[in-house]
Amino acid sequence: MALLYGLIWRLLLALVRIKRATVSWLRVRLRTWKGSFWQRTMAALLLPVPVSEFKQNKAGANQSSDGDDDGKGAGSRRSRWISDGISLEKLPVHIGLVVAEEELSYTDIANIVVWCMAVGVSYVSVYDHHGIFQKNNSSLQEEIVRQQHNLLGGDDSTFNMELLKNGSDKPQHFVVSCRPIVKVLSPEDGKHSIVQAARKLCHSVEKKEWSSKDISVSVLDILLRGLTLRSYAPVL
Amino acid sequence: MSWIREGELNLLEKISANILMAGPMPKHVAFIMDGNRRFARKKKLERHDGHMQGFNKLAETLRWCKHLNIPEVTVYAFSIENFKRSKEEVDGLLDLARQKFERLLEEQENLEKHGVCIRVLGDLNMLPLDLQEVIAKAVVMTKNHNKCFLNVCFAYTSRYEITNAVREMAWGVEQGLIKASDVSEALLSECLYSSNSPNPDLLIRTSGEVRLSDFLLWQTSHSCLVFQSVLWPEYSFWNLCEAIVQYQLNHKSIQKARELHREEQALQQLEADCACIAEHLQHQGNGKPADAQRRQEALQHYTVAREERVQDFLQALKHKRDTFFTNLCSETVLT
Repeated sequence: MALLYGLIWRLLLALVRIKRATVSWLRVRLRTWKGSFWQRTMAALLLPVPVSEFKQNKAGANQSSDGDDDGKGAGSRRSRWISDGISLEKLPVHIGLVVAEEELSYTDIANIVVWCMAVGVSYVSVYDHHGIFQKNNSSLQEEIVRQQHNLLGGDDSTFNMELLKNGSDKPQHFVVSCRPIVKVLSPEDGKHSIVQAARKLCHSVEKKEWSSKDISVSVLDILLRGLTLRSYAPVL
Repeated sequence: MSWIREGELNLLEKISANILMAGPMPKHVAFIMDGNRRFARKKKLERHDGHMQGFNKLAETLRWCKHLNIPEVTVYAFSIENFKRSKEEVDGLLDLARQKFERLLEEQENLEKHGVCIRVLGDLNMLPLDLQEVIAKAVVMTKNHNKCFLNVCFAYTSRYEITNAVREMAWGVEQGLIKASDVSEALLSECLYSSNSPNPDLLIRTSGEVRLSDFLLWQTSHSCLVFQSVLWPEYSFWNLCEAIVQYQLNHKSIQKARELHREEQALQQLEADCACIAEHLQHQGNGKPADAQRRQEALQHYTVAREERVQDFLQALKHKRDTFFTNLCSETVLT
């Protein structure tokens, strides 16, 4: 009987894996299908979470797919992405990318980082399990700069964002220059950094500079953000 | 309603359970039981009723876990962040907890029969004293049971737990039990509230929210995370099976990652020990570099001494924690 259950279990897992492979194959095919109705139907059937539509682009969108604006240049792309970001109800301040691929693609990651920055995200962190991006930090940064030029044009790392207030009598222009911060992380920045902070605190306790009762969530937080202990003295 | 549900699975459930148990099963599952308030809104009930239904679903889930041979379950019952909710809701939740833990004390025989050990993890000092006393009684009463384990996270957030672990290690240093150089990832893990449990294999969050909400962040670094859109009071046996299948699909890669992490940790510990030895020999020596054999012997002695120190410290920590609970119990006897 146990053998039979074992066989059925293997069959079940095989079926689930086949379904997953089919779904991801269909998703790739989906991108080449024109026709928004078909796209939306397939998206509703196959995607696990609903994809919200940009309200501003719903009616009278002149560029419905990326293929159309290949020849239109970086400028229009940038303003489209900026308006996409504005039309979102909430925009994350900080996006973290956990890259679990076997083969790392610097171009793809650079593209994602540039899109995040173009839409208005201030902080982007990139992490991979073996710390490869951190070891090749300079290559990744070079690739990001290259993609910035390709996709957005303009100068190096400052973006000028024009925010138009909707629905007011006179359009007000706010020019914001934002310099996004990209951090590249590895497993050493995880638990290891907490252990290092703990060791630092314990050293201070050993030297009688601190007491164990002084250790709080905010103290540990500050230490992890890189400030030295001496600049934060416990209130006696 | 009771914490322990009796009753077998129906035929279809039994067959499915047997099929799943042919593969690797998680030994420890953690639940973020999200969706009680949305359920109450959906069914036009009071919020309080939503939380009651949530508790009933917990009891049923424990029954399913027992039939699936999952010996340990951890649940996120009340976060420190939840104290920010309205006074009415917070008082309601604390009242519900009071009721449920008091009910638990009445079920002593049943708990003994099933061998259920209840642990409550969190900054219990933040709770009203009477609730602390009831919790302490339940924990002490079931302390020696060892067939299955239920960990209830109450007044808990992961950051407070990690900070508390660091504070305990600092206390150990203050007491002269350990040195600051003994601090390591393994030691920090032993100082967490959850040190008596293995890390969760599977973390399930219901109601469709895809975030961790400061729950077991340290312990779930190498766990399978499953996010399901069903609301907690509507959770079914089949939802649980679906989550277990996810775990089974990812089992091999998670095991590989865990193994890699263990090896890295062992290497880091060895490097740390060698660094300490090098410093020590430098102080002792008279400028001549120590030979390899002397270094090897010194390393062995140091490692043994360090492990002894750490064991003594952990014993002292365990004693401190047990005393906290027994003191709370004896306070109720006196009053």
